[in-house]
Amino acid sequence: MMASRLIPRTAVRSGFRTQSSLPTVTTSPLSRWRRGYASQAEEKDLVIIGGGVAGYVAAIKAGQEGLKVACIEKRGALGGTCLNVGCIPSKSLLNNSHLYHQILHDTKNRGIEVGDVKLNLKDMMKAKDTSVTGLTKGIEFLFKKNGVEYIKGTGSFANEHEVKVALTDGGETSVRGKNILIATGSEATPFPGLEIDEKRVITSTGALSLDKVPEKMIVIGGGIIGLEMGSVWSRLGAKVTVVEFLNQIGGPGMDTEIAKQAQKLLKKQGMEFKLGTKVVSGESSGELVKLEVDSAKGGKPETLEADVVLVAIGRRPYTAGLGLENAGLEVDDRGRVVIDSEYRTKASHIRCIGDVTFGPMLAHKAEEEAVAAIEYIKKGYGHVNYGVIPSVMYTHPEVAWVGQNEQELKDKKIPYKIGTFPFSANSRAKTNLDTDGMVKMLADPETDRLLGCHIIGPNAGEMIAEATLALEYGASTEDIARTCHAHPTLAEAFKEAAMATYSKAIHF
Amino acid sequence: MASFATACRLSARLASRRVAQDASVRGLRTSAASRAAQNFTMPALSPTMTEGNIATWKVKEGDEFAAGDVLLEIETDKASMDVEAQDDGIMMKIFAADGSKAVQVGTRIGVLAEPGDDISSLEIPADESKSAQQGAKKEEAPSQSGAPSEAAPQKKAADSSKRKTSGQKAPPQKYPLYPSVEHLVKEHKLDEAALSEITPTGPQGRLLKGDVLAYLGSITESRPADIKKRFDHNSHLDLSNIKIAAPAAPPKAQKAAAPEAPVPEDLLVVLPISLASVIETQKKIEASLGTFLPLSTFVARAAEVANDELPLPSNYKPSANELFNQVLGLDKVDPKVSRGLYIPQITAVPPTSFTGVAPKPKPSKVDIIDLLSGSPKKSAKPAAQSLGQPGISAGTNTFSLKVPKSEEKRAQVFLARLKTVLEQDPGRLVL
Ligand SMILES: Cc1cc2nc3c(=O)[nH]c(=O)nc-3n(C[C@H](O)[C@H](O)[C@H](O)COP(=O)(O)OP(=O)(O)OC[C@H]3O[C@@H](n4cnc5c(N)ncnc54)[C@H](O)[C@@H]3O)c2cc1C
Repeated sequence: MMASRLIPRTAVRSGFRTQSSLPTVTTSPLSRWRRGYASQAEEKDLVIIGGGVAGYVAAIKAGQEGLKVACIEKRGALGGTCLNVGCIPSKSLLNNSHLYHQILHDTKNRGIEVGDVKLNLKDMMKAKDTSVTGLTKGIEFLFKKNGVEYIKGTGSFANEHEVKVALTDGGETSVRGKNILIATGSEATPFPGLEIDEKRVITSTGALSLDKVPEKMIVIGGGIIGLEMGSVWSRLGAKVTVVEFLNQIGGPGMDTEIAKQAQKLLKKQGMEFKLGTKVVSGESSGELVKLEVDSAKGGKPETLEADVVLVAIGRRPYTAGLGLENAGLEVDDRGRVVIDSEYRTKASHIRCIGDVTFGPMLAHKAEEEAVAAIEYIKKGYGHVNYGVIPSVMYTHPEVAWVGQNEQELKDKKIPYKIGTFPFSANSRAKTNLDTDGMVKMLADPETDRLLGCHIIGPNAGEMIAEATLALEYGASTEDIARTCHAHPTLAEAFKEAAMATYSKAIHF
Repeated sequence: MASFATACRLSARLASRRVAQDASVRGLRTSAASRAAQNFTMPALSPTMTEGNIATWKVKEGDEFAAGDVLLEIETDKASMDVEAQDDGIMMKIFAADGSKAVQVGTRIGVLAEPGDDISSLEIPADESKSAQQGAKKEEAPSQSGAPSEAAPQKKAADSSKRKTSGQKAPPQKYPLYPSVEHLVKEHKLDEAALSEITPTGPQGRLLKGDVLAYLGSITESRPADIKKRFDHNSHLDLSNIKIAAPAAPPKAQKAAAPEAPVPEDLLVVLPISLASVIETQKKIEASLGTFLPLSTFVARAAEVANDELPLPSNYKPSANELFNQVLGLDKVDPKVSRGLYIPQITAVPPTSFTGVAPKPKPSKVDIIDLLSGSPKKSAKPAAQSLGQPGISAGTNTFSLKVPKSEEKRAQVFLARLKTVLEQDPGRLVL
């Protein structure tokens, strides 16, 4: 006869409570059990260097695909440039500075009376930091959820298969990977002769955490990052001058007609522009930072002064200290890691994606590549449609585009037809008292297939998703025009632009 | 249409379009036989195609071929097309020789083997297409005879000089037509047959407005293809790699798979543990302090200790909350271990323990413990008294846990610790 009994659970619990000293007493006889189960270093299926958008998305995707994956990040937080010092903090400041600016200047005509409006820059920065930490922690959470090992430290190639890591907390370790993914991103290109101190001569990183609003600010470079950060400080009260070498703001890709409108609208908000102007030299030893500028077309030289100079002349691939040479990898003349169409470097088990290699330096491009790279590793096939990657400038109004622009089509002698629709004729924009801008569509004159779409206006960044979808599906503007859009919405302007392209707009 | 394949093994080379193949189910490997060799049937190269002629085979019996190789050329009344292999394989047998005329779609024309198969020893599968088709044909026979006359005027319209077709056919449009296409179709009264004449240039073989306009002759004929080329270039896509969106697997196969999900089985993890030392301690305490501590107190406290920091179950999935707390540093627990909630089941090793017969010390371990605790001899009687529990032996008892397979290691660690604590120095548990 076998008899058995169960120890009641309550007894266990109460026993524990009355014996709080117990765990300490018994640690020693038990410690040997723990040691037995410590995990041993093993070869990973995939080692990722860099925990930016490219790296972290790849890590999560790889985890989901069942790969043993480790991600090395030296910053102390995941999310890379984008989450820590790029897309996210800049959008926080853009949104809140816009609100501030609107409350200051755009309430009376809406029937809202406000009293004293004051800027608390410290709290505005705090709001930004809260958003950033929330999101970077969120990624750490996703790492755990998907079984990604997060190694905090700086990685460098020891050889083709092994990555040394100088750990952030001191010490060194090394990981081996059947596959290795380089996703080390980019850094701001410095301006020769101007030393960055992130206080008076700053990059976008410094511009995201100035401790006071400068009186005068010069932005070198009228690309998206320069205009976004310039907008922030201009709205908060700085006198901002943008110096751009080219004759157009917005950088490559922005449609010339749209860029002109953007410049006009930003000027109305108080920003100054010096286009076709070259910064020759800079000097930051005095009380103000001095810049010598020259008209690009050989006009008279000029000296500009400012409290703060933002260097925003572009970004360059970042591979410093990565030890590419130890793995026999190559970069091109602009520092980009050389890859093939499947993101493979010279060593076929080492792939590379994101800002550190070819293509537009955009977070969503990095993200698409991350998924495709893992698909190549896991399934042998991945896909990124580089012809359909949208770009957005988050100024107010926003500027967004996808596909080809008018200048490009002209240069390549590709025939096209244009349809536009102004937000001033859109009922929602009118009720919002926010009517600057337009939607512009470019389509093939014969087949009506959409070739590109360019929007300047409120919420352009959201609206561009529709154009992106249309392009991805090879839609004609008639397809867009025959698709029902809710009323009253800004998106109706999108539909009307499509109507204007293939036949005629109703409301204009 | 039950015999229609859902996996596309072959494709016709039609300006880089693929045609869903109406052939043997190569991708659906449900039986051992189908893994060995596959019937290869006459593909439908357009939705309207019912039969075709085999112009020439580009492979001979026994030839190996690679994905993308042209297997044969098929002629219809409208065009002649190459049929490409979608996968690597071996042409095991050819049933319809070069020049075969009016081969019905779905008729077996050959047998394919996997790369590396020894075709001399492979069995040729039964011709499933035959029986199914014959039945179908008989039923359709009367209506079929009437069909040509009905179709004729439409065909004429489609062939009129205005309508352009390059002799390439649209794959059946699996998606709703685009609004503009739908509009043109209605406006120009295009029927299914006409639609299938149009060359699509959209992604995944979708028909675009321009394709219809080109077909209607209202724009330059080559325009849609030119634009497609440009888009392809801009997207840096290698077209040879485009895969047709896999048609949904037949629900039958899915249903069959579902109940086969593994049912988690519970496992009994067992460890003999001697309570001799505990009883010794119990006696000592009673003697010196005058307090009687029941055995259950010892076991409960030992379990409490042993439950601490157990290795995670092999399939452990922390909750979202746990994970987030770890990220935020609110939870300092090592993610490789967690607290257990085990309560051991205790069974005396001998059939009965309260007969007063001391259990035979089980393996040597008990002896060692007894030696260590300095009391090699135990009288069963006081033990039974102090136990006061039926089913628990003063000597060795079996401690067991019923756990899912994934927790085997976790349970083993728990029991091993329990043993250590109970056998080595149980005094610590209560003092
Ligand atoms: C101000 C600003 C605003 C931006 N706004 C937008 C926007 O609105 N939309 C958009 O799409 N893009 C925006 N971008 C661009 C976007 O941030 C980048 O395209 C994106 O971050 C690229 O991701 P990545 O993973 O390739 O590189 P990164 O984000 O730069 O990540 C690389 C990571 O690798 C780490 N690393 C480098 N070397 C090592 C090493 N040896 N060992 C370990 N770790 C290493 C770095 O610390 C870094 O965290 C903005 C950029 C800036 C600067």
